[in-house]
Amino acid sequence: MTAVQPTAMMSGRYQRAFTIAVVFLVAGWHFAGAGGQLLHNRSAYGSFAFQVVMWLVMALAIIAGSVLVLRGTPGWRPAWAVAVVALAASTAAAAASPDSQMLAVNWAWGSAGWIGLLVLLRRRFPELAWFLAAEALAILGVQLSDGLNRTDLAGFLALLAWSTGAQVAVAAGVRALDAAAGQAGAAARSEHAARGRAATAEIIRAARHARWLALQESAVPLVTELAAGTADPGDAQVRTRCAVQAARLRRLLAEGDEVPGSLVHELHASADVAERRGVAVEIETAGRLPQVPAPARRVITDAAIAILTAARSQVRITLAAVAAGIAVSFVADTGAAVRLPAAGEGVAIEQQQDGGMLWAEARWNSR
Amino acid sequence: MEQPVTVAIIEDHPVVTEGVASWIRSDPGQRVRLVQTSRDLTGLRTGPGPAANVVILDLELSGELVTTQIPGLVAAGYRVVAFSGHSDPAIVMETLDNGAHAYVSKEEGRDHLVEAVLAAAADRPYVTRSQARAMLADQHPARPALSEQEALLLWFQGMSKASVGRRMSISENTVRQYISRARAKYAATGRTAPSKDALLARAIEDGVIKPGEILPYESFARGAADRPSPGVPGR
Repeated sequence: MTAVQPTAMMSGRYQRAFTIAVVFLVAGWHFAGAGGQLLHNRSAYGSFAFQVVMWLVMALAIIAGSVLVLRGTPGWRPAWAVAVVALAASTAAAAASPDSQMLAVNWAWGSAGWIGLLVLLRRRFPELAWFLAAEALAILGVQLSDGLNRTDLAGFLALLAWSTGAQVAVAAGVRALDAAAGQAGAAARSEHAARGRAATAEIIRAARHARWLALQESAVPLVTELAAGTADPGDAQVRTRCAVQAARLRRLLAEGDEVPGSLVHELHASADVAERRGVAVEIETAGRLPQVPAPARRVITDAAIAILTAARSQVRITLAAVAAGIAVSFVADTGAAVRLPAAGEGVAIEQQQDGGMLWAEARWNSR
Repeated sequence: MEQPVTVAIIEDHPVVTEGVASWIRSDPGQRVRLVQTSRDLTGLRTGPGPAANVVILDLELSGELVTTQIPGLVAAGYRVVAFSGHSDPAIVMETLDNGAHAYVSKEEGRDHLVEAVLAAAADRPYVTRSQARAMLADQHPARPALSEQEALLLWFQGMSKASVGRRMSISENTVRQYISRARAKYAATGRTAPSKDALLARAIEDGVIKPGEILPYESFARGAADRPSPGVPGR
């Protein structure tokens, strides 16, 4: 989870920067562009005060819209509420303009379009298209009711092309930048994943190298001697060495197993010493082993060390999941009974001697 | 003296084939006769000479697991003893479920392979320690009774059967019976196979298990489409 967050945040940061840019663009247009036009033509309006009120309504719509989009992609209700307020204010401002020069003194069309763009920018594109079309139709409706001549129609089309074109271009640009930021984020994510894989590969490589080194100092010389004929397989000592190396190989392979809990590894570590002494140690697990708490593990490994030390040539250690716990058993040729450490920490220890073979079991119960 | 059991070895490493052949030769009673060796399954089917009763099958031939080929071998009338370096419990259980009589890991070969072949030829259960391990680890078996499970566990731990008997205060023979019964219960689970039916029938004949002790069981691992009907002792 944490690995994905920085990249997701990164593409989120870019998107937020684009949003802020659009907020400044819209506010700047309304303040300087529309406000300037309003002041410049103030004598032309029937009621300058009404136009100012409409301008203020739209300024409030911009503030509300900015708050919405800076919090994330707005829902359709608040977004369209702001858009409809802007549409209504701009239509009212146009309707209240003098009939003959409505288009010439109209400051509101552009602002309404920009406000729609602001709140609908990250919603589906057709929503913005519908809004811009509705805005254009509303202005055209006002113009029609005022009386439409050829010059007015030409002026209307020119204004439509200019303002709507600019708004669609900005919307398309932001979408393209969003997509680019998303791709950058994805690229960073995959790079992060690749780095993770490389780190894992390095850990695996190091583990393999350690295993290879372990074989170099033990198994390889033996195999070399066997191949050269200097070690005789008929010799009991050579056979014991082979058995020890086979046990070590098995253990090295077992290190790749997904064996939960460190008990298995602690037993492996305990077995290491016995192996150096020439004892063949075999460790096997059965079932999904439960986690054993540290004090109980210590009791079990103490018993293991006592048995491993007493073993003459072979020890088989098994760990099996049993109801509500784990049974760790040892079968070893100790020749005689072994003094085992005291049981405790939820671990019960039993042993039985059969001829030269010792069987001992440490059973830990979680209940 | 009985006729020796005939056996074929399917193994892609000649040195292993040679080792298995030497175990067969060194059996004091000469109870097993090797009639064919092959490096792959196709060689077995077209091979000349007398037919083998039992096939010793390496589970990995030329780098590929051949557990899915076992039903074919069983259907052709062979009894299969798997002999493999793979001791993963899931693979062991799949091997048995596909109809193999027994599973012998490569470490266990010297002590158990010939005995497992003889048991398979007689349709009798044979449970190696690695097989006991897989049965203990299996999450969805027709659970053996507690005493059987304890016998399986002690056998897996490495005690001799006589020693397990002393530990459980029962006779060595009863230990064998417990372990065989647990194995027979598994033969009643999963997909049907003639080898499993034969094993169950023999277990009932030998008094290892009573027909009422065999619970029909449906594998959770398999989809509904190829869910087998519960194993029914044949004949």
